[in-house]
Amino acid sequence: MTKVEDKTAVPGRRQFLQTSGIAAGAALSTMAAPLTARAGSCDAVPQSWDQTTDVLIVGTGFAGLTAAIEARLAGAEVLVIDKMPVHGGNSIINGGDFCAAGTPMQKEAGITDSPELMYQDMLKAGAYLNHPELARTVAFESAKTLEWAQQFAGVQFSRVGYHGGHSVKRAHQTINASGSELVNKFMKKAKELGVKVETRTKLTRVITAPDGRVVGLEVRKGYRFPDESTGTKTFIKARRAVVLAAGGFSRNVQLRQLYEPRLTDRFESTNHPGATGEAIIEACKVNAMNVQMDWIQLGPWTSPDEKGFGNVPLFCERLVGYAPMINPKTGKRFFKETGNRKERADAIIALGDPVLIFGDHATVTRQVFPAVLEKALESGAIRKFNSLDEIAAAYSIPLAPFKEEVARFNGFVEKKKDTDFDCIIFPEATPTVTGPFYVARLWPKVHHTMGGLAIDKNAQVTSLDLKPIPGLFAAGEVTGAVHGAVRLGGVAVADCCVFGRIAGRSAAAEKAWS
Amino acid sequence: MFPPCLNRFLASICWALIFGAVLSINAAPVRDPAAAGNDCVACHKGDDPKAQSPLPAKHKSTKTMKLADCFDCHEKRTDDTLITKLTGSHLHQLAGVSCVDCHGSSGKPAPVEMEQCLSCHKSGEKVAALTAKLKPQNPHFSAHYNSDLDCNLCHHQHQKSENYCSECHRWDFKVP
Repeated sequence: MTKVEDKTAVPGRRQFLQTSGIAAGAALSTMAAPLTARAGSCDAVPQSWDQTTDVLIVGTGFAGLTAAIEARLAGAEVLVIDKMPVHGGNSIINGGDFCAAGTPMQKEAGITDSPELMYQDMLKAGAYLNHPELARTVAFESAKTLEWAQQFAGVQFSRVGYHGGHSVKRAHQTINASGSELVNKFMKKAKELGVKVETRTKLTRVITAPDGRVVGLEVRKGYRFPDESTGTKTFIKARRAVVLAAGGFSRNVQLRQLYEPRLTDRFESTNHPGATGEAIIEACKVNAMNVQMDWIQLGPWTSPDEKGFGNVPLFCERLVGYAPMINPKTGKRFFKETGNRKERADAIIALGDPVLIFGDHATVTRQVFPAVLEKALESGAIRKFNSLDEIAAAYSIPLAPFKEEVARFNGFVEKKKDTDFDCIIFPEATPTVTGPFYVARLWPKVHHTMGGLAIDKNAQVTSLDLKPIPGLFAAGEVTGAVHGAVRLGGVAVADCCVFGRIAGRSAAAEKAWS
Repeated sequence: MFPPCLNRFLASICWALIFGAVLSINAAPVRDPAAAGNDCVACHKGDDPKAQSPLPAKHKSTKTMKLADCFDCHEKRTDDTLITKLTGSHLHQLAGVSCVDCHGSSGKPAPVEMEQCLSCHKSGEKVAALTAKLKPQNPHFSAHYNSDLDCNLCHHQHQKSENYCSECHRWDFKVP
């Protein structure tokens, strides 16, 4: 392939060390001994670069695109690469819920919320493993970032809903119930601003100078996932910084089993096929610290009757707190429907086989997005029945205990208190009585990797020596310790957008090394 | 540039050189871009069963047929659909769009970008409008990607096409 001439003169080694000395000096002096042993040899920096940019971003999801926009607004030249043939990663197939605390939409809906409450919810769910600064940043910036998405990028939200583990309703749903509303609007804005985007370009190595400063990436252009023999080796110089926004590793069965052995290939995943985590590994090779890699989330709201994420999660999460979840073997409830993802997933897996969630006509028509219901009915992932007897017959549920349990649950709904499992019962919940009834099976799938690269509140990656790595930033699922043990639903979007913007601004503010 | 006949001549020399060796090694059908689209035996020839004509013995002569004529039997009168049996390159060739029309005639034929498809097929939205009535889902429109996906994600020209959506969805599209 033709090599693009690098416009600036390629610095000799001595000149490079002199010019970057001031910037790297402080870091260099404190890191001197470990660095020389560990950093790549001088030969690892290419003699000439094929492409140059100021800020080089890996990943075209929520975090990558918000970083691109902010870096561009700060005056940097920006290039975003993605290894897949399509943009958007997991973000574009996401369910479209953005959790934010203290928004005008919440006030309009009569919901009282605060960033402090969201922060406490995140900590509680996270078992206090969240790095407080990171979790606080997400909670306290969530409302402003949602407003920015609306005002600056034209993203439209239609309602505020609930997600398990939160204290109040704060999940702002996009008008099409998909993350694509955010991704496509961000992409449009990014391109309008002059951000360049190249798909089929895979990160293969993070390139550092001898002092550990990240200077660019080695990539493969024209890469055809998943064929590792494809693509042409290309060197892209990043004058100011690299931002890793490459997502998690839910689809990497080998890697995930290293951290949690029970996650064999028996467990399917909701993620896009590219969620394999190479960026985390490559960053670690240049001295990055990783944290909390053992904490891998299973979604408790997926159906074994659909591939990937499917439509059932958007059915299930609209019913929790309104309708019952039943173990078909006993006909009884077994756990609070409004629990967080981990406790619900663990409870279902403990039973060994899929469970059921179902709602009646009144609840389902009030709660569930019509297109979601329609599509799932067509595919058979949601089934329609005229009576509880029919449901029991279809799933071999013992009839009398089942009917008793539904009546018991309805009693809780009337009193607005669940004395069996302490599930939240929402004020407008109505008893499950009027057919037709809509039923879905549930079985957990691997969904999100809470662990990843350690970052500080400026989204700069932390090294094994506990110092920020010059020129390296990260945001979104590729990072760790924002969510701790358990990520709450809708907070990933908030994390990606809040820290994506911070990473973009921080990256653009790095002093150019060349 | 050159007049079309000279283009075809140059292209066929080029291709013959490239694929001549291939022909001698594995006796696969010859890629002769100068062959008429409906002249199956021009490429599918020889005693080797691998190279032989794909047409069954009793088949009508196709020498004067256009793609519409093939479909006249295959889509309208029998269930023996040609979709998924003929690669995209064949469908194009039969419809009068030759190798050279997409790949040009200079240098080694390289993979073609989506702009080339759009030079005839106009836009993702226009294609989506043509398939709007398909059930259970319009393959050219999605909540994720609208109508912006690269044609080649599904529609491969020189190998069997695939259904990109089937990574996550169970839609049984027959992809030409």
